[in-house]
Amino acid sequence: MKSWNKSKPAILMADQLPAILVLAPLFGAMIIGLAGTKDHKICFPITLASLLVTLVVAVAAAHQVFEHGPIDYFVGGWKEPIGIGIHLHIDSLNVLLLCAIAVVAVLVSFFSIRRIGDKNTEKTPHFYTLYLLLCVGLFGITIAGDAFNLFVLIEVSSLTSYGLIAMGSSKRGAFAAFNYVLMGTVGASFYLLGVGYLYLKTGTLNMVNIRDILSTQPEIAASRAVSIAFLFILVGIWIKMAFFPLYGWLPNAYSYCPSSSACLLAPLMTKVSVYVMIRVMVSVFGLEWVFASPGWSNLVVWLAVIAIVAGSVLAMAQREIKKMLCYLIVAEVGYMVGGAWLADEGLWGLTGALYHILADAAMTLCLFLAAGIFAKRFGAKKITELEGLFKEAPWTAVGFVVGALAMIGVPPTCGFFSKFYLIRGGIDAGHWEYVVALLLSSLINAVLFFRIFEIAYFGNKPAEGHAHAHDDEPAETALPSSEIPTWTGVFPLLVTAAIIILLGIFNGEIVAMIRVVLEDLPNLASRL
Amino acid sequence: MLSKVFATIAVVITGGILLYGVSDFPGFGDPHSPANAGVPGQASISQYFITESYGDTKVPNIVTSVLADYRGYDTMFETVVIFAAGMAIFAILRVVGDDSERKPRRKQESSFTNGDHSRIIIGTTCRLLVPVIQLFALYVIAHGHHSPGGGFQGGVILAASFIIIALAENLNSALKRLSETNYLKIACIGILIYAGFGVMCQVLESDFLDYGVLQPILMTDGPEMARSHSMLGVEIGVAFTVTAIMFAIYANLSSRGLLRDGL
Repeated sequence: MKSWNKSKPAILMADQLPAILVLAPLFGAMIIGLAGTKDHKICFPITLASLLVTLVVAVAAAHQVFEHGPIDYFVGGWKEPIGIGIHLHIDSLNVLLLCAIAVVAVLVSFFSIRRIGDKNTEKTPHFYTLYLLLCVGLFGITIAGDAFNLFVLIEVSSLTSYGLIAMGSSKRGAFAAFNYVLMGTVGASFYLLGVGYLYLKTGTLNMVNIRDILSTQPEIAASRAVSIAFLFILVGIWIKMAFFPLYGWLPNAYSYCPSSSACLLAPLMTKVSVYVMIRVMVSVFGLEWVFASPGWSNLVVWLAVIAIVAGSVLAMAQREIKKMLCYLIVAEVGYMVGGAWLADEGLWGLTGALYHILADAAMTLCLFLAAGIFAKRFGAKKITELEGLFKEAPWTAVGFVVGALAMIGVPPTCGFFSKFYLIRGGIDAGHWEYVVALLLSSLINAVLFFRIFEIAYFGNKPAEGHAHAHDDEPAETALPSSEIPTWTGVFPLLVTAAIIILLGIFNGEIVAMIRVVLEDLPNLASRL
Repeated sequence: MLSKVFATIAVVITGGILLYGVSDFPGFGDPHSPANAGVPGQASISQYFITESYGDTKVPNIVTSVLADYRGYDTMFETVVIFAAGMAIFAILRVVGDDSERKPRRKQESSFTNGDHSRIIIGTTCRLLVPVIQLFALYVIAHGHHSPGGGFQGGVILAASFIIIALAENLNSALKRLSETNYLKIACIGILIYAGFGVMCQVLESDFLDYGVLQPILMTDGPEMARSHSMLGVEIGVAFTVTAIMFAIYANLSSRGLLRDGL
């Protein structure tokens, strides 16, 4: 696979970018399935190689999108009439997310390195197969231009994430995964029901085609079935992204699973779901249709406000680090959903939401990596157990502090700029409750993280003695730090911290890239 | 109790909304509904499939031509879904690396010789049935593009023939015929066959899964027949994966991941 990639002429390679993006990890997963069970040593190199291919392809796709415009790919060459085949689409709305997925997957793969022969490593090939298939699913969701194809890839990513969450030996992880299976299945079914209703009214599954029909046939666009389709698609995706009242599965699933699974899932799954919501709003129904009745968007913004406040308050009540971070994800999802639904004239809310997808992926990755390192090396899971750990692990502390400052929203980290754009959208749209919720959440984040800084920096209890506090949780009892090379955790953490700051410094360029597509949309040009 | 009340309320609301939408649907079997005839001013996709699919692909079964060619990308990922489900189940259930667990709990005897007469009847019946089931499964796979059937259905039937061996005798005699290493390999090879057909098209400088360009390799007259043959090829790939994963899921679930004794 990779050998012919290199031998192919450059012109042709460029046409095949969307296909290679999903095929490289797919082939990697199959090779691990074939050969990895015999020899566990090859699993990690194959995983890294196929993810690096996707990273190169994602960057190449970004180059092509910003130089030559959106990439359209028709699988099997079935182009005309539109809708008979499957359409893959890369434009400035999703190309940066593709890069983000590839970067996160590559970085987390370093964190997932474990010494061959350690305890619980006999399932290494299973882990990496699921890991790569999850990446296939996420890439596929992001490039899908077909409503049903999106569902199929949501299934791929969901099934693999259930497996990744339940893989640890902890009973609570398995139970959390079971809860997630139930909720995730309901979410996927809702999405599918919505697509079914939409197909009944429009007779097509292609996103571009559906939007053409809805914008040229007002009686179809106004029909009850289409509204109900939108409602079901929206609720289905909300379950997948853990939007406030539907978040029940998330905290346990992400805090009781193996650290490497959490680091991959927490930054990506919810963010890709937010992207799906925005894609459905922009490319399937069209923003005109979605924002036609202000009552609905006001309702969603209020729900987002509740999500932000509730997520932040619940985070304050947590004693475990990962649980706290999980509730912060619930709040961040509120940021993005609220931002996307602000419906302000300049679409700054939507822009902020798209920028925040990238920023939040980096921040969540950073914090989860740091929490994972603390748990893996020192057995510190509760906030109080962090005492003195900043001195023990200074580089991890640097990464954690950068991630935390971004979460609070301190310039020049990306967290500040995403809040800036979201607040601008909120003020433009007159949604003051959303602005207040954002500021309140920043304040709560500041309280939360400075409390942790205080404990971890000034606390002087030695880190020893915590390791045996978790006999009931055999998933990740503290290993002596010599067993896993330290750099496998610290290297991705520091890269992520650098990305957080770079995303912040280059926020103007990134936002300009994101807004390219919003300006491209014909019926939005008037709004901007 | 309270949770049941809430669940009932949620179900009633969801059902109510769905039914409210149903009243807006086109009539059942209405030939002018958007799904059948397209919306005014747009080419109808269903009409295209009905009129053109035989000419495009030389496959009389329209369902197969849509499934394996026009929307072959979806079907490939449906196969990946099954593979992922299997992998997740192995990752959670399979007990590996513990030698004390490997020893059989009770002495393994062939059920045909241990004097259990009721098992003789079951065993002999299954022995007679299994070849017929497998032959039928192969027919369903091979004839999928001409009549109802295909890789998914045929693969499930083929897996059923192994499961029936495991039920009638014991899991070990089924695993002797399809061992753990083999079913994992077969599952991966199935997907590699499917994706391989797609990548071959890319190597021949066309789009992924554009089977028409495989004409020189498959030595068919015309790209349409190449599409037809490739569809058979990908159906076989699907059947590989489905057979292996269905049997593997049964083997892991029935033995709690130990792969011995079984039910």
